[in-house]
Amino acid sequence: MSAALPIPLIQLLQVLTIAVGAPGITGVIAKVEARLQGRRGPKIRQPYYDLAKLFRKEALAPEGASWFFLAAPLIAVAAYLTIPLLIPVLTSYGLPLGYMGDILGGGFLLSLASFVVATAALETGSPYAQLGSSRAKTFSAITEPVVLFVVFTVALLTGTDLPYALAATVRSSAGQIIRPAHLLAAAALFMVILHETGRIPVETHTGTNEFGMIEEARSFEHSGPFFALLKWGSELKQLILYTILANVFLAPWGLASTQRAGAIGLAIVALLAKATAIGCVVAVIDNSFAKLRLFKITEFVSGAFLLAVLGVFTLYLGGG
Amino acid sequence: MDPVQAPGVYQGAANVIAAVMLLIEFGMLRQALARDQVRLYMAQSALISVLAIVIAADRNLPDLYALAALSAALKVVAVPLVLRRLLARTGGDEEEPLGAGEEPLGVAGSHTLSPASAVLAGIVLAAFGFFCFGAMGIKGPAAPATALAIAGAMVLVAFGLMIVRRDVASQAIGFFSLENAISLAALVVAAGLPLILETAFLFDLLVAVVVFAMLIRTHHSRAESLSTADLTRLRG
Repeated sequence: MSAALPIPLIQLLQVLTIAVGAPGITGVIAKVEARLQGRRGPKIRQPYYDLAKLFRKEALAPEGASWFFLAAPLIAVAAYLTIPLLIPVLTSYGLPLGYMGDILGGGFLLSLASFVVATAALETGSPYAQLGSSRAKTFSAITEPVVLFVVFTVALLTGTDLPYALAATVRSSAGQIIRPAHLLAAAALFMVILHETGRIPVETHTGTNEFGMIEEARSFEHSGPFFALLKWGSELKQLILYTILANVFLAPWGLASTQRAGAIGLAIVALLAKATAIGCVVAVIDNSFAKLRLFKITEFVSGAFLLAVLGVFTLYLGGG
Repeated sequence: MDPVQAPGVYQGAANVIAAVMLLIEFGMLRQALARDQVRLYMAQSALISVLAIVIAADRNLPDLYALAALSAALKVVAVPLVLRRLLARTGGDEEEPLGAGEEPLGVAGSHTLSPASAVLAGIVLAAFGFFCFGAMGIKGPAAPATALAIAGAMVLVAFGLMIVRRDVASQAIGFFSLENAISLAALVVAAGLPLILETAFLFDLLVAVVVFAMLIRTHHSRAESLSTADLTRLRG
């Protein structure tokens, strides 16, 4: 029998798991992608080395940029590190701070982070950074309805808009999984995640061609520790979204239902395993599709919108 | 607000299959190549056989197995085969570079709406069909109301497909998938119908295939393209 951990420590562990695990998941995806292409690929630890290297470097800001340019990466990372308090990362029961915000609260934090990064990119005067932030805002405006409809589905399925409640509903019976509303909403969310994390078919993750870039281009002018924070931030965002998909929608199993250290440890392993599995799927998609032309992204988003809307429709006749 | 209760595994599965069939219908709406449309039609027809098997297993209706097999043989094998041969003969997927002001010949350029707008228009149609069927409140012994409403939405989206595409091949496929939607509705509402009646409905499809094959060939021999754009001009 392992000892029971105090609640605040568990809450801290949720944040730490995301914070420490995020670069690793990026490393795994890069590795799997490389193996699928027949390359040996970078080490899984490579993103950690990158971050360590960048944190030791000097930080420069372009002439004329205000304090906001340097504050933005900090605000973004702070926002990303707050979200793990709101979603079920390790436990199936709600932690005290888990009720300070619902799904919309988490969504606001995600958009706040992306907004401050885009604003900082506008400060620079670099055309590519500005192009990136303008595109990122345009496309996030068209994915927003999809996210809203996914939230509506969750609300209709559970009667609340707490992520913990949906996870508990999904766990409760097989009938909750094989219902069109749940499957459609999960599929729509997955498409939104591909879009938000800048993966194929929306954006090449490893490309160096500025004209195809959306989110990647925003950090062009940052350097040193601030660039490291932005990179870490996008890795955090990726793991947070994967956690929401796995622990709220697809597979809310393996979460700790007690405060015992063993159960919590198992939950950490389970979360990383689930995120790795999603990452492998994403890597396969990365390798099997071509990047969409910029103006075709609306078609991709309209597909996701269709899924989310149908999910809400089916609920209205009581059959979803 | 109270949560919407889960409908149970059987109804859930039936609804999921119906929803995926509707999604495939949307896939046809945005698909550019005729051979991909035929592939989607095959998938949709395979799903309706799966649904028949699910209903047969759950409601204990052994003759539905026979119907599933027959429908698969006809719609997954025979009809796509005929369509493919027809398209191969008429060159439906040959994409030729277009000159200025030239009308597209085949299926690829026959969208009258951009794919994203077509999908949005389809969503509106689907919503209309869905809520109309929902309001009728038809209840059968094996009828998940949602699956029936989805079938209604599919009928309208299939009509939409026939309207927004300007080529005979897409219109034919739209019509065949319309038949799929009606089979779905029939399965859901009247799963206990005698086998002979269900089979008779299936053979209606064969008539449609023959008619559309004639139509495609005649149109192609006259207009030398699959596009129906020529038909808009009035000529004596």
